Amino acid sequence: MGGHSNWPEWIYVAVVIALMTWVGAEAWEAERLVEHVPADAETIIVTGQQWFWTFEHEDGTKEIGELHVEVGKAYKFEVMSKDVNHSFNIHDYVVLMDAIPGRVNTVWFAPDAVGEHDIQCREYCGLIHYNMRGTLYVEEPSH
Amino acid sequence: MAVLVGLPAVDFAFAAGEEPGEYLDRRVLIWNLFYKMMTVAFITGSVVSGTIIWQVWRFRESHPKAKPTRYEGTDW
Amino acid sequence: MTLELQKPRPIWQIMFSTHHTDVGLLYLISSLTFLFLGGSLALGIRAELFLPGSQIIADAMTFNRIFTVHGTTLIFLFIIPFASAVGNYYVPIMVRYKDMAYPKLNAIAFWMIPPAGVLIWLGFADFTWYATPPYSIISAPGPAADMWIFGLKILGISSVLGALNFVVTILKCKHPDMSIGQIPLMAWSFLSSSLIIMVAIPTFAAALLMLLTDRLGVSGFFNPAMGGDPISYAHLFWFTFHPEVYVLVIPAIGMMYEIIPRFSRKPIYSYSSGVFAFVMLSIVGFSSWAHHMYATGMSFTEKTVFMVGTLAAVPASAMHVFNFVATMWNARIRFSTPMMWAVGGIALFFSAGAGGVVNSAMPLDFTTHDTYWVVGHFHLFVMGTIAFGSIGYLYYMFPYVTGRMYNETLGKIHFILSFIGTVLVFFTQHVLGLYGMPRRIYDYPPIPEWIAMNQIASVGAMIIGISMAVFLANMIHSAGKGKFADTDDPFGLGGKYYYPFEAKNPSH
Repeated sequence: MGGHSNWPEWIYVAVVIALMTWVGAEAWEAERLVEHVPADAETIIVTGQQWFWTFEHEDGTKEIGELHVEVGKAYKFEVMSKDVNHSFNIHDYVVLMDAIPGRVNTVWFAPDAVGEHDIQCREYCGLIHYNMRGTLYVEEPSH
Repeated sequence: MAVLVGLPAVDFAFAAGEEPGEYLDRRVLIWNLFYKMMTVAFITGSVVSGTIIWQVWRFRESHPKAKPTRYEGTDW
Repeated sequence: MTLELQKPRPIWQIMFSTHHTDVGLLYLISSLTFLFLGGSLALGIRAELFLPGSQIIADAMTFNRIFTVHGTTLIFLFIIPFASAVGNYYVPIMVRYKDMAYPKLNAIAFWMIPPAGVLIWLGFADFTWYATPPYSIISAPGPAADMWIFGLKILGISSVLGALNFVVTILKCKHPDMSIGQIPLMAWSFLSSSLIIMVAIPTFAAALLMLLTDRLGVSGFFNPAMGGDPISYAHLFWFTFHPEVYVLVIPAIGMMYEIIPRFSRKPIYSYSSGVFAFVMLSIVGFSSWAHHMYATGMSFTEKTVFMVGTLAAVPASAMHVFNFVATMWNARIRFSTPMMWAVGGIALFFSAGAGGVVNSAMPLDFTTHDTYWVVGHFHLFVMGTIAFGSIGYLYYMFPYVTGRMYNETLGKIHFILSFIGTVLVFFTQHVLGLYGMPRRIYDYPPIPEWIAMNQIASVGAMIIGISMAVFLANMIHSAGKGKFADTDDPFGLGGKYYYPFEAKNPSH
């Protein structure tokens, strides 16, 4: 072992620790904001099963494979599964939450522009996992 | 780095908005965090890999100024 | 030094031997065979994903089986046994003892690997290398699934027995004149990874047993229909397998500790930092497992705890990078093949780690979880760091094991092609993941950006494949017909460059 002074290494480790602390703090703050579900968010029940998604709106309307929502409103997804693990993902809106049988997971979003976006499954669920897809339609408010 | 300093100011814009009809845009929040992280990662990465690349060039044995280390010839 | 192939020996003598150099050789041959088998599966995957639609794989089930066996093979049948090969060969030499502490147990641990490999390959399960329930219980076809479970069980026992041997050999059998603070850093790396194995693997052994009884229908640990919780499997699995990734990387870093100082012609910058970093990583590595589970519906507090645990391990890894960079400072470096692999591995180690830090930032996981970002990230570790360190060490030990030199030009070509290929495949896959492409999919929609990036990745994979063919040819040809090496200093580094202690194989 060299009998040299080790100060460069101490500084380096201090910088690494400072960087990691910064990453942690930023992530903590962002997650805190992202997890706060607005009180007036409309609930949509999302059910994953091999190999398609179904949706049920608050007013009882059901959709299979497609989801229609309105611009400017907040929606809270209650995600569940009927068989194996799936993961509900609207990549364009960074919505991701696992669908686990036996529990309900919650994730929310508020679309801000009209458009069509892909819904996909992000947890391996078997044969047609690769094609367990859907479409999100964000539309102008109907009233 | 200027981006890193300026972004927190823009950050407050999202932290603020929660009036009805004005919701937090999770995409913007998350991707902004991502870009901040990427900036730091690339800066650190360029320092680390730049150092390694320079070292590999400077301390190769075929470099004109290469000299034996003080351990060569000893029983280290 | 021990020379294996200078004097031809009957194969049965090596197969029935319990001497550590022979067991090491057996592990080596087995692990390299599985490297090529598992790697071929990867080439198949990349060929299939070159374009949307079916290319060379007819259906999704076959594809799902292929990626499952690819991952299982390369982790359990290549990386871990390869580390065992190196450890078996060199740990007794490094601690100046005549063999491993329990030679017969050592041989038994090795011989568990071929049957387990056969079980896994004949079964060809499809449920990914995680085997997550409920899919693995209610939906995965047997007997493939059950064969996989038995195969992994056997491999787990083999791993634990091997780890036990390393720990006892290093701590109890080291030469009386040698204190623990004098054993080489590579020996420390085997000590650390073995201790992790002994603590972490039993958890997975329990989980496997529970998975099997669930599959048989006699229990409902993970099956919600019987009152069980699939998430508890995830906890058990990741409690083992997050530390397990440190088991994978720590020996490779240990191997780099053998190569980099020697080829720099100076000692390691800080031995004590290396020891501290290995020990700290082993301990802190147990505190981060659920960062793999951020999307399962954990609470904010839980996620925060695991994020902190993940970030806490980064300084330890960073210390190794510093150690290597500081060692190369003011050095006089010979860039033979082993050194190129070791330094390339360190450079890629950083990028792998940086991507991991991004993942651990909780909300960023929503962009990257279960996408190709993760595939790119972990492959930079397993290929870019671990395989690079391992292959570099293989070149390094080649003259000692065979008495001959490999072809240096081909070795360098192997490195350059592999490095380019690795960067092309795995850096691209990070971006592909950011564009949203999920993992484990047989086919994908014709999104132009996805197609372009998949093609770049596939080209990169083919380049790696070509480099591996060069490697195989070099190894086989040189082992039998290479130039005889100067076994005291095969790389011309000057001075005493190997351990003065010889491994006296009774069959030589």
